[in-house]
Amino acid sequence: MAATLCVKFLLKPGWLPFTQTVRHGSKAVTRHRRPMHIHKQKLLAVTKYIPPPRGPPPGAYPTQVKRVQEDNPLMLLMKRDLKKVFEDCKMVAVVQNNACNSEDMLMLKHRLYKHGITVKLFPNQVTRSFLRDSVYCNMAPLFIGPTLLFVSKEPKVKEMLKTLRASPQMTLLGASIDNTLLSAQGVVSYSKLPSVTVVQGELVSGLTMLTSNTASMLQRHPTHLSALLQQYVKQQSSSNSAEEAT
Amino acid sequence: MAASRKATVVLKAVKRIAVHFCPFESNVRSTREFLAMVGSEKVRATNMNCEVVAVVKHDKSEPVVDVTYLDGEKLVLKGANLTSSEMLSAFQSRCTAKDPQAQK
Repeated sequence: MAATLCVKFLLKPGWLPFTQTVRHGSKAVTRHRRPMHIHKQKLLAVTKYIPPPRGPPPGAYPTQVKRVQEDNPLMLLMKRDLKKVFEDCKMVAVVQNNACNSEDMLMLKHRLYKHGITVKLFPNQVTRSFLRDSVYCNMAPLFIGPTLLFVSKEPKVKEMLKTLRASPQMTLLGASIDNTLLSAQGVVSYSKLPSVTVVQGELVSGLTMLTSNTASMLQRHPTHLSALLQQYVKQQSSSNSAEEAT
Repeated sequence: MAASRKATVVLKAVKRIAVHFCPFESNVRSTREFLAMVGSEKVRATNMNCEVVAVVKHDKSEPVVDVTYLDGEKLVLKGANLTSSEMLSAFQSRCTAKDPQAQK
């Protein structure tokens, strides 16, 4: 305070003071906020208390409405239909139709109906929610965009593929045949399989090949058989003598 | 989906569109929607010679749209991380860029 008074007293116009007070001390307890030393500022900043983040108090926000949409009766009806379809039909194929005139659609439906294949259309949402609960949950990613279901009691794959080849807009995505999920190539290879009777016949013939060989050999002329047996005895004796020699 | 006023794409300059995807993957939604939009009757009616072919595979590969133009240029759209509207707008812009040139 004395220094400031002195400075004011010596000031004449155009005269700079000899000394300029750089700092003046204020006492520890002041009426104004005393500027803190930089070290103290830094220390306080580093050691500041950061409280843990607490969530909102329990009554603050309204509870989030859980989106469990109840199935409206139409959806229930469609789900029942779908369930029946999956139970009755051995073959369920999923096809994406990009564009179809009504005439093309009619032709396609007619050709498929001749082989006993029906074309069904269900909303994707319904199908997906149905498949989530059932065994066929892996088919769920197939149902995106405009899709149709080709269902039939008998797995008539060849005819279906032929009809699909005729209409270029339909793309076969996958099929569930006999409760096995197949991709598009799987369906093609399934169609190339021979029928069950043919496969069974092949298996039986393979098993009985040995016995049939012996039977045919025995049934030939007995001289042939006796010549073979003599040759066999000679070979046995020659191998025995070879062993004795060595 | 495509918010442009001209909702139909003009395929005059396109020779062939091949869409490869694997339906059991989770990233094929946009590609399938693109296929549905491009394969529709209206769009195919703009150019009857253009073939729209869908190839369904099962090898966990990325969904790809291969477009061949009449002047030999190829456009490859990898649909794994694109939305269908993005793919459609890119395709449409290129088609219209080629088309007025041919018309002019």
